[in-house]
Amino acid sequence: MAQSLEEDYIYSDDDDDDDADPNDYYGDECMEEDQEPVDEREPDPEHFDFKCLTVSEAKNFLDKQVQETCGKLKVDKRSAQVLLMAHGWIFSELEKRTEQDISNLLIEKGVRARNIPQVRKGGYVSSCSVCLQRKQPSDLKGLLCSHSFCKECWSKHFETLINNGIATDLQCMASDCHIGAPEEFVLSFLEEDSHRQKYQKFVFRDYIKSHYNLRFCPGADCSIVAYSEKPQSKRVDCIQCKTSFCFNCCGAYHAPTDCETVKKWLMKCADDSETANYISANTKDCPKCHACIEKNGGCNHMQCSRCKYDFCWVCMGDWKSHGTEYYECSRYKENPNIVNENAQVKAREALKKYLFYHGRWENHAKSLQLEAVTLANINKRIQEKVMKNEGTWIDWQYLLNAASLLAKCRYSLQYTYPYAYYLESGARKRLFEYQQAQLEAEIENLSWKIERAEKYQRGDLENQMAVAEKRRQTLFKDFFPT
Amino acid sequence: MSIIVPILSDTRVSDRKELKDLKRDPLGQCSASPVADDNFHWTATILGPPDSPYQGGIFFLNINFPTDYPFKPPKVSFTTKIYHPNINTNGSICLDILRAQWSPALTISKVLLSICSLLTDPNPDDPLVPEIARIYKTDRPRYNKLANEWTKKYAINQQGN
Repeated sequence: MAQSLEEDYIYSDDDDDDDADPNDYYGDECMEEDQEPVDEREPDPEHFDFKCLTVSEAKNFLDKQVQETCGKLKVDKRSAQVLLMAHGWIFSELEKRTEQDISNLLIEKGVRARNIPQVRKGGYVSSCSVCLQRKQPSDLKGLLCSHSFCKECWSKHFETLINNGIATDLQCMASDCHIGAPEEFVLSFLEEDSHRQKYQKFVFRDYIKSHYNLRFCPGADCSIVAYSEKPQSKRVDCIQCKTSFCFNCCGAYHAPTDCETVKKWLMKCADDSETANYISANTKDCPKCHACIEKNGGCNHMQCSRCKYDFCWVCMGDWKSHGTEYYECSRYKENPNIVNENAQVKAREALKKYLFYHGRWENHAKSLQLEAVTLANINKRIQEKVMKNEGTWIDWQYLLNAASLLAKCRYSLQYTYPYAYYLESGARKRLFEYQQAQLEAEIENLSWKIERAEKYQRGDLENQMAVAEKRRQTLFKDFFPT
Repeated sequence: MSIIVPILSDTRVSDRKELKDLKRDPLGQCSASPVADDNFHWTATILGPPDSPYQGGIFFLNINFPTDYPFKPPKVSFTTKIYHPNINTNGSICLDILRAQWSPALTISKVLLSICSLLTDPNPDDPLVPEIARIYKTDRPRYNKLANEWTKKYAINQQGN
């Protein structure tokens, strides 16, 4: 393992913050020596226990739950399935209801008929009330409710609804009759294999969707089902398709922002995308020589290829003002006189604020994409070096680790912007933005160093990695609920 | 009320039972028949119920049967303008049995009877036109007056289209 070079890292202690000084808050903190800065004493706020189940594992898990419920409530399999589904598969919830009255619950859920219906005895010719054709009574089939229809109509009814994605909600065909159709009953009318498979797939889907502890992996064509004992808004990494998603909302992982805020933010972004697209056009002019520049790497530390001017891509300011002191760029300065201004100015201010955060959000998303290209280049460079006998493949692994850590940190940084956008002004927001700025500065340093890996020592790079990750964890500890 | 017996009879749409049902309607409030040779496109008429502000009006409706009828509901819409909380200016009707509560055992005559009772008893809690629902709930005389005016203007002595 590499040791970190503490002296290389200058901890920001400058007291130039305008008001409540967050430096005092973190001033006495020291750097971790270890490469993996995991603090044993405090729980990792991102830690989450989950299991990835295959379809058959998930089916076994459900079957086990059904069997247990059958035994405990002394009901048949079908009743257990319907009751569990209606209560999110949480047995304790179901037990609360069944303690009072199980038979009314079964009637309510369409498992049992309210009145024991009179079964029509055969012997006379009758007709199916759906196709209105005359049928032999033996050809008419029905559920507990005694509404009978012919086989052809049942088949067409089920096939039509299954094609619309309905499976566990299949009911009797009579109007106003809510008796549910059990799986075996439905299957007995489905002749084509494609229909049977579709039906069984949808039944499974309905079970998982209604389950409190299970979630489908949202990855394209992925069949993995994630399981968690205590569902939370935390990250799940699919073992099959590698998608990371939030267990709670199944959207892209969004820490430190919560599900509701990120949903609001994404909706807002979708609404305002045209304006924002226009504002955050792909090129910018060099602030010094006005050459048109297209960003072709992830790092926001730009150097104009014509005049060699170093500047920040985000604020277009001189990079020198970013390097040593704390990174000012992520902080949006709210106009203190806003209360006294008229509505039009307010609206403009709101738009400006949104564009500020959206610009940064977009910018980091773009950087993430560009850094994926950098990663591919790193792989190529490692390959070349190994071919030229400049160290073994293992020797260069740290570069890949650095790139993956960079992606992780930048991803978190991207999702701090919706959080900051909806955060109310005050001491907490100042602290958040201070930490965000610290993180951003370290990420940009790391990105710069990775892109120019040959010029930097391995120790230097690994130290930078540790610093960036530490910044990320500090922010998460304070702002991401465990 | 006249019923033209349709030519094709391979589906229930054109089956005699669907039509027989209509003949059985005791009040003669509704009628329906296929348009020309197209069994999947019918027109229907509903007479404004006597105890409603639509009294005296003749309302025309379009009925389109999907090919998988009766496993999917028919598409029913008004072609005569009507002032009603559950029917909008396009003639679309907000009625549960035409959507989620459809059952293959329902027939056109039952659908038309349901629409008749919707005219007598609007459902302002599930409105398609919120403004009319608001007037219905807060100022019933005004609703009655407006509905009656629309009926006189569009549904009396007018040709359906």
